[in-house]
Amino acid sequence: MIYRMPKFEYLAPKTLEEALSLLSQYKERAKVLAGGTDLLVRMKERKATPAYLIDFGNVKDLDYVRRDNEGGLRIGALATHQSIVDSNLVRGGYEVLADACRKIGTPQIKNMGTIGGNLCNAGPSADSAPPLLVLEAKLKLASAKGWREVALDRFFTGPFQTVMEDDELLTEIILPPVPPRTGGSYQWLTKITAVDETLVGVAVLAVVDDKNGIVKDARIALCSVAPTPMRAKKAEEVLRGREVKDGLIEEVAMVAASETRPRSRADYRRRMSAVLAKRAIKEAIATAMSHGG
Amino acid sequence: MMKQVSLTVNGEVYEVAVEPWWTLLEVLREKLYLTGAKRGCDRGDCGACTVLIDGKAKLSCLTLAVKAQGKEILTVEGLAQDEELHPIQRAFVEQGAVQCGFCTPGMVLAAKALLDRNPTPSEEEVSEGLSGNLCRCTGYTKIIEAVLVASETMERRQETAR
Repeated sequence: MIYRMPKFEYLAPKTLEEALSLLSQYKERAKVLAGGTDLLVRMKERKATPAYLIDFGNVKDLDYVRRDNEGGLRIGALATHQSIVDSNLVRGGYEVLADACRKIGTPQIKNMGTIGGNLCNAGPSADSAPPLLVLEAKLKLASAKGWREVALDRFFTGPFQTVMEDDELLTEIILPPVPPRTGGSYQWLTKITAVDETLVGVAVLAVVDDKNGIVKDARIALCSVAPTPMRAKKAEEVLRGREVKDGLIEEVAMVAASETRPRSRADYRRRMSAVLAKRAIKEAIATAMSHGG
Repeated sequence: MMKQVSLTVNGEVYEVAVEPWWTLLEVLREKLYLTGAKRGCDRGDCGACTVLIDGKAKLSCLTLAVKAQGKEILTVEGLAQDEELHPIQRAFVEQGAVQCGFCTPGMVLAAKALLDRNPTPSEEEVSEGLSGNLCRCTGYTKIIEAVLVASETMERRQETAR
């Protein structure tokens, strides 16, 4: 297959301010280029034909993973999936994010694709979303008028749709600190395609009290089983504050599966949601128990 | 509007005028006549267009040529030193890892990127490192063996050098 890229005017701002100014000027006539692994494919398919392409990739200091003053984590929107996998800050309670990023695409796609691009593309099967949801990530959105923070929980509005205005750019992902004895797990099944798109993905974050085996806090998120990545909040309620016993995890997993709204292969996806949720909860709790904090 | 770009490929600097919508793959093949990188799927699924950019394996079909300015690009043509094949190339030939050869440039470069990061990979790590490169002919067995053989050769060379 030979694709012909559509024509466009190429703009390469060097600073965030310049990029925001261009975006506020051209708005819906422009698209923002980060890693290119989603946008350029859509352009080749003629699903996107912007008159202007704003190359966000030259803007400095947006590719980082760093600790903030509260002990949380800040990830620049242009951090590649591979840099998140490689970072020694995305460990301990945050490691579930690195596990998901390790699964994404292929080595080449991990080297090119950015976490910001992955989120803004807002695919229902975005692997980075469930870990970020259970870590209760907030997104920093900037525009020429200022900036705002949006909880990731409120960011996705539909398949490939977000709350972002057409003059906004995602600049940073903010992760709050995680308590000691926090463990996570990401479990998935894929469609057997060239890049193994996720068929069902489940992330769990558990905080345990190892003295009495109680799950102090639990968060469960899924992708590819609803129009957007989602939290299974009813299931979390069932698990939170309870002592870990075998029957309980089954129950929680079934509740999580009942909260899904898959469109296609619905029966299989629902059943696999329960299977993967059970595995993820078990692994997250075991990991939490093993962490020194 | 055409832009003048400087592309550093295999250590040489090329001055090329490009349209912004041309991919690096198109420019390498059609302007620089470096036809090692292949147009397989042209959409990021097959890896036949793989080149190394600043040492990292990337897909040239999803890279705009204008973005490659100021980076070090390595194609398969840049691997051999004079008349001597790179150990990875030699291993592919000697282990029978080449049938039609279409995936080979991408595979060899992906293997190089893997071994540069992880000089002694396990079989599973080799599989993972090559997971972005599809082959329709070989069934991958010989390719993985070749990469493992190459890693041993390269490790021995490092030992002798020390």
